[in-house]
Parts: sequence; structure tokens; C-alpha cells
Amino acid sequence: MRHLWLAALCVLSLLAPSLAQAQGPCVRDALNQKVCLAEPAQRIVSLSPGATELLFSAGAGEKVVAVSAWSDYPPEAENLPQVGDSNRLDLEAIVSLAPDLVVAWVDGNSRSQLERLSDLGIHVFWLAPRTFDDIAAAVSDLALLTGLPDLGNERAEAFRADMAALESQYADARPVKVFYQIWDQPLMTVNREELISKAISLCGGVNVFGELPRLVPRISREAVLEANPEAIITAGSSDDRQWLEAWREFPGLAAVAAGNLFLEPPDLLARPTLRMAEGAMHLCQTLEQARANL
Amino acid sequence: MTRLATEALIIDIPGRSSGVPLNLAIEPGQVWGVLGPNGVGKTTLLHTLAGLREPRSGKLLLDGTPLDGIRRKTVSQRMGLVFQDRQDGFPATALETALIGRHPWLSPWQMESGDDLAIAERALIELDVIHLKDRLVNTLSGGERQRVAIATLMTQSPEIWLLDEPTNHLDLQHQTAVMKLLRQQAACDRGVFMCLHDLNLAARWCDQILLLYPDGQACWGPARDMLVTSALESLFGQRLLSAELDGFPVFVPG
Amino acid sequence: MPISSPSKPLLILLLAGFLAALLSVSIGSTSIGFGDTLRVITGSGTELQQTLILELRLPRTLSAFATGGLLAVAGALMQVLLRNPLADPYVLGLSGGAAVGALLAMLAGAAGFLISGSAFAGAMLATLLVFGLAHGSGSWTPSRLLLTGVVVAAGWGAMITLILSMTPASRLPGMLYWLMGDLSHAATPWPGLIILVLVCLMVFPLGRALNVLARGSLQAAALGVSVRPLEWSIYLMASLLTAAAVTMAGSVGFVGLVVPHMLRLVLGNDQRLILPACALAGGTLLVLADTLARVVIAPEQLPVGVITALIGVPTFLYLLYRSR
Repeated sequence: MRHLWLAALCVLSLLAPSLAQAQGPCVRDALNQKVCLAEPAQRIVSLSPGATELLFSAGAGEKVVAVSAWSDYPPEAENLPQVGDSNRLDLEAIVSLAPDLVVAWVDGNSRSQLERLSDLGIHVFWLAPRTFDDIAAAVSDLALLTGLPDLGNERAEAFRADMAALESQYADARPVKVFYQIWDQPLMTVNREELISKAISLCGGVNVFGELPRLVPRISREAVLEANPEAIITAGSSDDRQWLEAWREFPGLAAVAAGNLFLEPPDLLARPTLRMAEGAMHLCQTLEQARANL
Repeated sequence: MTRLATEALIIDIPGRSSGVPLNLAIEPGQVWGVLGPNGVGKTTLLHTLAGLREPRSGKLLLDGTPLDGIRRKTVSQRMGLVFQDRQDGFPATALETALIGRHPWLSPWQMESGDDLAIAERALIELDVIHLKDRLVNTLSGGERQRVAIATLMTQSPEIWLLDEPTNHLDLQHQTAVMKLLRQQAACDRGVFMCLHDLNLAARWCDQILLLYPDGQACWGPARDMLVTSALESLFGQRLLSAELDGFPVFVPG
Repeated sequence: MPISSPSKPLLILLLAGFLAALLSVSIGSTSIGFGDTLRVITGSGTELQQTLILELRLPRTLSAFATGGLLAVAGALMQVLLRNPLADPYVLGLSGGAAVGALLAMLAGAAGFLISGSAFAGAMLATLLVFGLAHGSGSWTPSRLLLTGVVVAAGWGAMITLILSMTPASRLPGMLYWLMGDLSHAATPWPGLIILVLVCLMVFPLGRALNVLARGSLQAAALGVSVRPLEWSIYLMASLLTAAAVTMAGSVGFVGLVVPHMLRLVLGNDQRLILPACALAGGTLLVLADTLARVVIAPEQLPVGVITALIGVPTFLYLLYRSR
């Protein structure tokens, strides 16, 4: 039965290019491919937690029919059917949902796997937000593809305005040397290309490992001691507090001496989504606190 | 002086239902030869006598004491065995190989002394392999390895010598030399017990013979009583011609 | 070889180990010269230098030494036990058991002591499992032990893959580093060092019996060795050593295979010399490998297992090629 159904889909896919000629939304994605739909998408599959969040922000939440594992925000996304982990997708499940748009994530999904979806005539829109502006643009684009362009633009502009406000507010603040710890064993941080580091700069902080070549470098404890940051920040629940407490072993560290060991709320800065505005705002207040302690 | 005796011993050959219980004794000064066709259990018998295999039934007595009641170390001071197959996964020189024969005589904390080394070297000289002492054993020929193995037993210097086909791979000269050496050991009141394939070597050098038959039958006694053409023909399933040379019987296939 | 004095090669190795340790504590992502290092060791130097050397580098160097020594001795014992010069400490699935223990703890969100404890428990479980299964009803032989171990190891491998595929992406790096062998987990070097020294002391009186055992179990029995108890005690000791190493640093590969093998080529086969030499040479090798892992792309870090494999694979192939 399923085979018959797949065969029918293949026939449909041959027809698809001609249908796509009709008037409809058209957007360039992160792979610089033009994605054109005959009409706004009605059945969307999201292949990463970040894409899910951005789709909901673009007002397309009700049209999402399935998501990848770990899509936990907004809460209603958790009740949607899942099509596997980002890097191990269940293609059969995706195809059988007959989506008219699949939103993929450059850093998580397998390109060769999704080419097979494109070959079946399913539209794949790739996201790779690397800057705050990319986040805003992604919301606008997704809103355009799913039929609510005005709402999308409005939310994107609000996000841009929030970030611009933070930037001007902390433009002249005293620089604070920050070590942002994203994992404990092995000890890992981020370089300046990562959005978290960009948020740190926005708030007038200086990422002590910003110049390292890799996006998520694994470093040694002694490198941290040598860099001697004035604040050590990590994100997580209260369980992760012990990562910070471990630094008290080195009272010579400026951050320890000043009591600048901060635990940021989890999730706000974890994904490149509109929640970053809230996360950045919280981070800026944290750095203000750090300045006061110094 | 040590005496190894068997009491109603039946060796454990898989698939053989029964056998004649062996009641024999290896007395000091005796040289035993075990004869029998392939697969009859000669090697199993040697391993059982050395206490390395459980017999199916019966007892082994070393100087009257049951073998399984004596510490392995003590047993190995009194009784040693040359195996037919040897493992050498790890390379070792001829001298190192001979020197392991001293193991039963040293305490765990003792290193080998100069005396131990002298004993091992003397054994290598006796077996005419002293010129190979620094060569790795796995690079030696079959006959040379056989002589190193016998030198190891000589270094162990037990009262009872068990040997599994000691003349394997040896050329005529060394066959004779080894058999002479074994007779010398017997002359020093040691007991020698070996498996052999060569009837004529057995006839020439052994004074006691044990015949093992495939059905588990066995008979044993002084060589002159056992080495009878008709008995040997039925043992090997082969017609034999015999003659007497230099006072010893000689057998050739007929 | 048994006659010549064993002290000379051991002294050379001891010196090499000491120099490697000195090198290891004086270089890192922050460079401190030999002179300053010596000053810190003798009690002066700046506060930062003291912290770097005494609190960060020295414990790690000692952990590396202990791990390397434990693995090399365990490898040498395993090779005698299986009468196979190509056996390594992990061949019987011990690291697999430890890995499953450690990964399950990490999956559950545990940290620090819980991970090492769980790894140790996993290693011991693997040991007992192979012990029990290889014992079985039939007779016990090295090949039976080897086959049991290899199959059990394959089972652990499957469980590791299963755990990795169930793990959220954010926890994966920690797990992968653990699997590759990484000394940043090592909390304290002392238990490992103590076990290493104790086992070396225990093994010395067994040395000659091990030499005899290497000639085959029947030959050993004929020379008065109680083969079965000796084999099980070697197995348990090798397992304890490996478990201690894996608990400290995850599964660091190749040290346990290459070090005993190389030493045998140079020093011969006397276990009384080889085993302490393995402890020293294995420790030295891992100290050097970990130093490399810390500095090649400093301040970023590589897992030490990558370095040992990169050194070990070509060395081993060369040795095999040369030995016909």
C-alpha cells in the first residue's frame, strides 16, 4: 500500500516543477538556493529545534505537522509528532506526511539525506543563522513562505530594535573580560563567530577566547588561568552551578576574586532564535553586575 | 632414589570404554620403552604419569605417597617431562629455555645464580647444543630444538625422566647420543620412561617394555620377554622379519 | 637475559620518565621555562606559575604516568596469559564494560566521581562476565578465554553505539572524548599510582613463574607451576590495572599493545625485567603523548588517545613489517 502511495508521489513530483511556476512566495535560503512555493505552505516539517522555534515565531506554528527530536520550545511543539533526531532523520516518515515545506538546519541535518527529499519534489528551505540579523531575516522569510509576511516582518523588526537598543546602551561601558563556559569535561568555550560571543560583545564584554580558530574550541584549564577573565559565565540549571564553583579552587583568578561566577538561565542563548533578545538582555545585566563587583 | 608406581591405573582416553588397569613401577635404574600404534594413548599415559591429567581411575604413587597429595613444586623436583609439542609464542634463547628447568629449585624471590647457569650450560654441552646457546629457539631446526628440550629436562635434573619420543627429528648420531645419555642417567639410579616409535631403538636401549593396544589392552615386562615378533606383529598390524645383531634383536617390516 | 643485571635498563627508563615528567610540567598553553619550573618545584616562583604547575600540570602528568604504566603492565600480563604477544588490555572487553558504565553515568547527567565509579564498576562487571562465561562447563584454555572476551567486547561495542545514538547532541562531545581516551577527566593520580606500584611488587615474585607459563601451560605445570591459580590471578590483576587506567582516562589505545611488544624486542622476555620496564616506559610514553595533546594546537586540547594511536599505529606496523 505504502509503495503504491510512494509511486503516486513520484508521479506528482514530476508534475511539481510545472505547478511551481504559478505565482507564490519566493525566497533565497542559506544555501543560496531559490525556494518558490505555488502558494503559502500548509504542511511544514521542521528538522531542528531551532527551526521549530523560528517557525512558531513566524506565526506558522499551527501549520507545523512534525518536528525533530528535542524540539521543546514553545511548549506546544513538544506534542507534535517527531521524525527523528536532527542527524538521523526518518525520511520515510517525512515523505508519508506529504509536507509542502521542510525547514532544514545547515549545522545539523545531512545534506545528502535531504537531497533525496528535494529529488522527490519536496521543497526544502535551509537555515543557518550566524548573526542577529540572520535570525530576524529567517523569521521574515519563514513568515513569507507560510503566508503571514506582515506578522513576520513586525517581529523581525522588533528583534532588530531590541538588539540595537542594547548595543547603543552598552557601547561605552567598561569592557569586561569574559570566559563563557559551555561544557565542563572536556572544558569547552565559543569563539567570536558564535552568537553567544556576539551577545557578549553587544553588552560590552570581551570574549577571552574569541580569537581561537574553531567555533567551539576545547581548551585547557591553564589557558583560562592565563587569560585571567574577569567574569566566568555558563548557562544552565542550578545543577550546573558546580561547574562554576570548581573555579573557586583558583582564588588568584580575577573572576573568582571579584565573585563574578554567573549562571545564566538555560535555553535563552542556546539557540539562534528570537529568545536571544531576552537572553542578551539578561546577559547585559549580568555583565553590569560584574562591572559593579570589579 | 625415587620410584613411581601405578595402582590399577586406567588412563582417560575419550571414547574408549575400558582398558587393562596398569600396575607397574618405574624403579631407579630402569629404562622403559612404551610401544604402540598411533592414537593408542602413549602421550596421554605420559601426561597422566606426570600428574598433568586426571586418570579415569586408579592411583599414582610417588615413593608410596599419592601423587595428588604432593605439592606440584615437590613433584617437579622429582619428576620431569619432555613434551612432543612445544609452544614458543614468545622468543627465547636456547640458554634461557634450558634455564627454566631450574624453576622448581628456586624460591619466588630468588634470581638464577651462577650455579644454575653452570648447570644449564653443562646440559647444553651434554646435548651438543652449547654453540646455539644465544640463538632464539624458534630459529633452530627440529632436531636442535629437541636437544634443547632434553637439555631443559637435564637442567631440571629430576629422579624420574618421562620423555615423549625423545628421538624425534634427531639424526642417527644424535639418536644414539641421546639414548646413551638416558642410559647413563639410569645408571645413576634414575628412572627413565619414554614413548618410542622405533622398535630397534627400544630393543637396543630399553630394559623394560610396555605395549599398548588400541582396544585398551596392555602388557609389560622385561624387554627380552616383550619383544617377540608375534606380539609386535599383532600390536602394529604389520608382518615383521627379525634377526639378531650384536646381541640385540632387530625388526624390519616384512 | 635472566642473568644480566636488570638494573641498567630500568635506571635508563627511570631517568627518561623523570625527564619526560619535567618536560611535561614545564610546557603547556602557557610557557614556563625549565628554570622557572625548577624554581616552582623548589618552592618559589610567581603565584600563577605555582598554580599552573603544582595544581594543574603535576597531577595531570602523574595521572598520565600512572595510566600509561597501568596499561602497559596490564598489556604485558594479558599477553602472557593468552600466550599471544599481540594481545592488549582491552582484548577481553574490559574497556567496553567501563565505557558502557561511564557513558550511562554521563547520559544520566552525572559528573566527576560518579563517572569514574561507574566506569570502574563496568570494568569489573566485564571482568566477572568473561570470567564466568569462559569458565563455563567445559575446559578452560587461552583461546576459549580470548573468544569469550572478543564476543563480549563486540556486545559492549553495540551497547556503546546504542547509548551514543540515544544521547542529545550537547552531551556527545564529553562522551566521545571519554571514548577516545582523555586525561582531563582524571581527578587524582594517587589510586592509580598506588595500584601500579602494588601490582609491580606483587608481580615480581611471580616473574619466573610467568616466564615458565609463557612456554605453555603444560610445560609450566610440569615445572611445578600451579597453572590455574596463576592464570586467574594474572587475569584479575590485569583487569584491576586496566580498570584503574580506564577509570582515570577513558580508553587510551595502543599503549598496552605497543609498549610491551617494543620492550620485548629490546630487552628479551624475562617478565621480572619486562613488567617494571613496562610500568616505566608506558608511563613515560603517555606523559609525552599527553604533553603533545596539550600543546599541538594550544590553547585547544586534543584527546591523548588520538596521539597514542597516531604514534602507535605506524610504530606497530613497522615492528610487524620488520619481524617478517
